[in-house]
Amino acid sequence: MMEEEEWSEEQQRFSYLQRLKAAVHYTVGCLCEEVASDKDMQFSKQTIAAISEVTFGQCENFAKDLEMFARHAKRSTINTEDVKLLARRSHSLLKYITEKNEDIAQLNLEKKAKKKKKLEDENRNSVESAEAGVEES
Amino acid sequence: MAYNFSPDSEPTTRTLLRQVLDTAVPRTPRRARSTRSGCWSLHSAQRDLLETPSSRRQRSQTKMTARRRSHTATSVDRLARVQASGHLEEQTPRTLLKNIILTAPESSIVMPEAVVKLVPSPQVVQPSRRKSSRGSLELQLPELEPPTTLAPGLLAPGRRKQRLRLSEFQQGMDWGHLSQEPRENADASSLTSSLNLTFAMPLQPQSVKRPGLARRPPTRRVVDVGTFLQDLRDTSLTVAPPGESHRTPVATVPMDTVLEDTQPFSQPLAGHSPSVHHSLPCPSPSGAKEVEGAASRRTRSSGPGLQNSYSGPGKPAQLLARKMEEVEAIAMGLPNTSSVSGEDGIEPLQNGVGEEAEESMEESMSVREVEKAAEEQGSARAEEPEGHTEVAAAAGSLGAIEAKEPEGSSEDEDTSASPELPPSTPEFLRTRRLQFPEPAPPPSTAVLPSELPKHLSARIPPRPRIPGSRPRQDPNKAGLNHYAKLFSFYAKMPMEKKAEEMVEKCLDKYFQHLCNDLEVFAAHAGRKTVRPEDLELLLRRQGLVTDQVSLHVLVERHLPLEYRQLLIPCAFSGNSVFPSQ
Repeated sequence: MMEEEEWSEEQQRFSYLQRLKAAVHYTVGCLCEEVASDKDMQFSKQTIAAISEVTFGQCENFAKDLEMFARHAKRSTINTEDVKLLARRSHSLLKYITEKNEDIAQLNLEKKAKKKKKLEDENRNSVESAEAGVEES
Repeated sequence: MAYNFSPDSEPTTRTLLRQVLDTAVPRTPRRARSTRSGCWSLHSAQRDLLETPSSRRQRSQTKMTARRRSHTATSVDRLARVQASGHLEEQTPRTLLKNIILTAPESSIVMPEAVVKLVPSPQVVQPSRRKSSRGSLELQLPELEPPTTLAPGLLAPGRRKQRLRLSEFQQGMDWGHLSQEPRENADASSLTSSLNLTFAMPLQPQSVKRPGLARRPPTRRVVDVGTFLQDLRDTSLTVAPPGESHRTPVATVPMDTVLEDTQPFSQPLAGHSPSVHHSLPCPSPSGAKEVEGAASRRTRSSGPGLQNSYSGPGKPAQLLARKMEEVEAIAMGLPNTSSVSGEDGIEPLQNGVGEEAEESMEESMSVREVEKAAEEQGSARAEEPEGHTEVAAAAGSLGAIEAKEPEGSSEDEDTSASPELPPSTPEFLRTRRLQFPEPAPPPSTAVLPSELPKHLSARIPPRPRIPGSRPRQDPNKAGLNHYAKLFSFYAKMPMEKKAEEMVEKCLDKYFQHLCNDLEVFAAHAGRKTVRPEDLELLLRRQGLVTDQVSLHVLVERHLPLEYRQLLIPCAFSGNSVFPSQ
């Protein structure tokens, strides 16, 4: 009974993997079509399949590395620092990621500022309404 | 009586003495006791299978007593005799001989019981001796050294017995206690007993504690675990035969001495000994390859340093003499490198150099390291105008980081070559590094780098080579030359010079990369020192350390015991440690 459960689990996992691979393959295919239309070149099916397989494998590696990096920094959550460490090999990629990171950080700050304002407004409103309510009563 | 010891061997001194004692009638008041012992021997002889003369019986009797009778019985017997003899002021040679035979260890090493036998007797002897003369006890100890006449036959077995005894009582042994007894016996008897020499052993407790490693203490040097492990991987990757790692250390040592005759840092054992934490000062047996690279870098880096020292005032003559040769080589090499190098981006290399310099700086602060970094920075600065960034990077990366490979020569190097004291080097390095990108040389020790640019620019025509200097080759890759040669050896095929050069180049880049990674990992963990955790991460990324194969397994597989101990400490306390096969 236990073996059957394990086997079915494995099957589920396998089918899950297959679905993921199919999704990656589809995305790679779309990207390759874009590039093909851009450069006016054709992509063979085998090429797209090869690229998607490599991408999938690399994703696995990335995930393992990210986990290792996070653990190395004695954290349990993967951080943007881990991602930057992962992308350090390619300079352009690293630059891109750093810029994006800064943009996101800025966005976060703005959001926080907005939230603070909202909270303050709400507090004032609630206080005013309370006072109003008190006055009324 | 299953004892079938056949005394067919040549009669030893002991047996002869026994013969004499047994056959002749003692003329001392101790006759009664001796006759009693004689009766015992007769009794035993009846059961004895040996029909040899009484001496044999006597010997067999003692052996039988050892086995059959309780040890206390024999000791009591001996005690009686010894005490009697001790009380007697006048002692005949006969009694003295008897004392020797009774108390001295048996000549046969086949009988470990003899060891136990002796234990109670010396203890028994001691109080009796003490009664006789207290002062003589102190005097007896120094007498351990000069052995007087002694039968060679007794000496060897005594020594062997001594070892047995030592192994038994190593831990709680009171050396003085045991050493006193033989002294007392010696005092008692005019003839020196074998105890004299046998107990000479305790004077070397070190050798006893670690019999297996009784060599000169291993010199402790700063160790670069990362570089060493990189080299491990390198050896396994490039060639693969495990024997290579054994070859490299031997090969690298002469290589280094040839390459760096002025800086006698000796390549540590190649591929072995994962060094200890960087925080701990330990020998760094980085791989031979890395050592080679370091050697090459160092020679190069020292070259510019040499130039500085050469021009600088107040430099020790030693420095000058040493570095003069290197300067030449570098001067020669620089024009060569300009042709070779080129494609590598200048900036990343410089950055790499700076990073590595910082990394090396942050790591164990060995003087050599500092010196290398200093020199490499100086050389880097000097070469900037010439566009030899590759040289600078080469000098910086491995030279600085692998400068941790201390071996015997490294100490010499440090003491003689380092211009500054170790404690001040870290600050000096930091100031250096900060100013590295700037053209202005740092104030401290910067005498070297400051003078370097001027000197290099001034010296355009290469100097005539001094005989005996480094062979004419690319100074920044001189260290990797050795690795390339190994590569070509294992390739089982003749290799072109260009191919070897390419291999060197690739190795160079590879090591730079690895060291870069190490530094980044350390920074990622918020640290400034590379620790074994960083190295484990590196190895894990390389696929050497997996969930099945842990770092310790690799350590056990590839490192010699001394270095393994640094990483995997194990308690000694008299154990014999054997590396896992």
